[in-house]
Amino acid sequence: MQIEGLSIGYRPSVRQERIILSHIQLSAGKGELIALIGRNGTGKSTLLRTIVGVQPGFDGTILLSGKKAEDYSRGELSRMLSFVSTEIIRISHLSVYELVALSRFPYTGWVGRLNSNDKKIVIDSIHQVGIQSLLKKNITEISDGERQRVMIARALAQDTELIVLDEPTAYLDLPNKYEIIHLLGRICKDQNKTIIFSSHDLSSAINEADKFWLFTSGEIKEGAPEDLILSGKLSEVFGDTNLIFDIEKGEIRKKKTQRKKINLTGTDNFQYYWTVKALERLGYEVSDTGYEDNRSVSIINKNDKYIWCLKEKDQYYEYKNIYELASELKTINTDTQKHGLK
Amino acid sequence: MNKQRWHWVFFLLFTTLLGVLFVVDILLGSVKIPGSEITRILFSGRSYRPEWATIILDFRIPKALTAVMAGMALSVGGLQMQTIFRNPLAGPDVLGISSGASLGVAILVLGFSSYYSIEKISCFGNWTIAMAAWAGSAFILFLIFMVSIRIRDIMTILILGILFASVISSLVSILQYFSSESMLKSFVVWTMGSLGSVTGAELYVLIPCVATGLIIALVSSKYLNALLLGDHYARTIGLNIRFSRFVIFISTSILTGSVTAFCGPIGFIGIAVPHLSRMIFRVADHWILIFASSLIGANVMLISDIISQLPGTGMTLPVNSVTAILGIPIVIWIVIKNYKMSVYS
Repeated sequence: MQIEGLSIGYRPSVRQERIILSHIQLSAGKGELIALIGRNGTGKSTLLRTIVGVQPGFDGTILLSGKKAEDYSRGELSRMLSFVSTEIIRISHLSVYELVALSRFPYTGWVGRLNSNDKKIVIDSIHQVGIQSLLKKNITEISDGERQRVMIARALAQDTELIVLDEPTAYLDLPNKYEIIHLLGRICKDQNKTIIFSSHDLSSAINEADKFWLFTSGEIKEGAPEDLILSGKLSEVFGDTNLIFDIEKGEIRKKKTQRKKINLTGTDNFQYYWTVKALERLGYEVSDTGYEDNRSVSIINKNDKYIWCLKEKDQYYEYKNIYELASELKTINTDTQKHGLK
Repeated sequence: MNKQRWHWVFFLLFTTLLGVLFVVDILLGSVKIPGSEITRILFSGRSYRPEWATIILDFRIPKALTAVMAGMALSVGGLQMQTIFRNPLAGPDVLGISSGASLGVAILVLGFSSYYSIEKISCFGNWTIAMAAWAGSAFILFLIFMVSIRIRDIMTILILGILFASVISSLVSILQYFSSESMLKSFVVWTMGSLGSVTGAELYVLIPCVATGLIIALVSSKYLNALLLGDHYARTIGLNIRFSRFVIFISTSILTGSVTAFCGPIGFIGIAVPHLSRMIFRVADHWILIFASSLIGANVMLISDIISQLPGTGMTLPVNSVTAILGIPIVIWIVIKNYKMSVYS
């Protein structure tokens, strides 16, 4: 798919046009998993709905396999691209199988009867998505994560080269979020389909997507997630917030403001790593050397249990876990009085 | 037993019930006609009391047939409206067809009464009233079509349909205000609905109309199924939304328009029966639901007609009251059982 010079927006009333983005220039290749990343309200949903034809664009063209989207008939278009929206479908007495079977609409005759090939495709899609145990269940009886998979199976069964999904992980719990994006990546690879989706799950998207369409400062930048990170474009998305995208660690964290320094020593990697995180949450800058004049914390392994030792001036305290250490550090920060020895 | 077997069981059950109710409906009436005579009349067309033959052949059978036709037409019309508007309380007259019919009849009966004498007006046969009702419905439908071509959102069309109907009702009230007592009574009686004023000749028009409407509905059952997913999904699986709306509106107009023209406005059947058929058959597939709604609708209409004859007493009730008394508890039950209302998002 090629998008050239496209303008997208909406019509608040019949005469008015509100254009959100213009001169959009993007491409999507076969077998690519593309993630739309950006803040709320930057136009991701609008772009997806315009691509799919549910919302009219204002200018420019969308080319599918070299031909303009408007030159395809309705039936042809529905055999080229399928859509998964954020709408929650609630229809009673409709089983999972029947819902996925509705996707064969562009291929069935006037009665809507599925032939054996149609049925095979429906069953295959259900298996690919991993919900074969739910085949006969009503869609009102399944969980949100399962329902999302059903909608993806439906889009798969439509047998199109391009699948577009608007926030497919929106209502899902954390494991499901990862699994769904991983599933999309797998479908891309196994079936050479192009999948375009929008998401706020940055880490899964970075791990799985071949390309990002990054919505930032009034335009859309496309590139591999790694390229966009290295060029600093991803950090731009967080431009006017207290957050930055840490290129080194590949995660989002608060900007480094004026920080107190603290010294931390310890031999065990995991204990050290997570203690650093807790201390940084409290606003400290952590080092394992050089801050001995200030507070220091050391992690000691005593009889196979870890304890955290805080050395403050000449006082020496021991804590059983990070929570107690952190609570104490918080009170010390706000209160200069000493507490009793623990 | 799986779902499909149950479907066949229910179809058989309701078809048998239909036969039984049809016979009961013919048996009942203000004139007591023994069952044996009825059988003789049905098979030979004659009876030892010729007026009995007339009653059975020219009144009761047409009335029972009208009940069956009305039941089927209104139920399927209601089903289509509930799906296309994704509203469980929509009925076949939600496009304003009944209001349009009322306007047509009101103009005829109430409007012209100020210009013509009573004698001239009493020759208004059912045909004239039917024509007036049709003209009124057609006018409203034309307005609705004009609107629905320009508007994408189906909810807007629903609201406009309801508002048009309200405006029409006000116009009809004005006409009622200025009319004479006897004309007013005639009009009001018309609004109460009547299955009995349809003659054999009129059945020759009603039956083909209802059959046409039902066939169009069956043929568009694939579109109706697609519309269950909502307009966005329907569009992306290749449904031509405008065309499907056109076909579905045409079918509902033919079904509701012809019944309203010949029988007056009959309410609640169209809202309640589709829900009954969904509850009993437990499917969302419109192919099955159309058959189910027609069958159940015909049964319910026959029951209403039987009840309206108040067997045992000499009186009859207007059919609209009976359908309301039967239909409203069902609608209330639906509203209370909230989870059943999540048929549409």
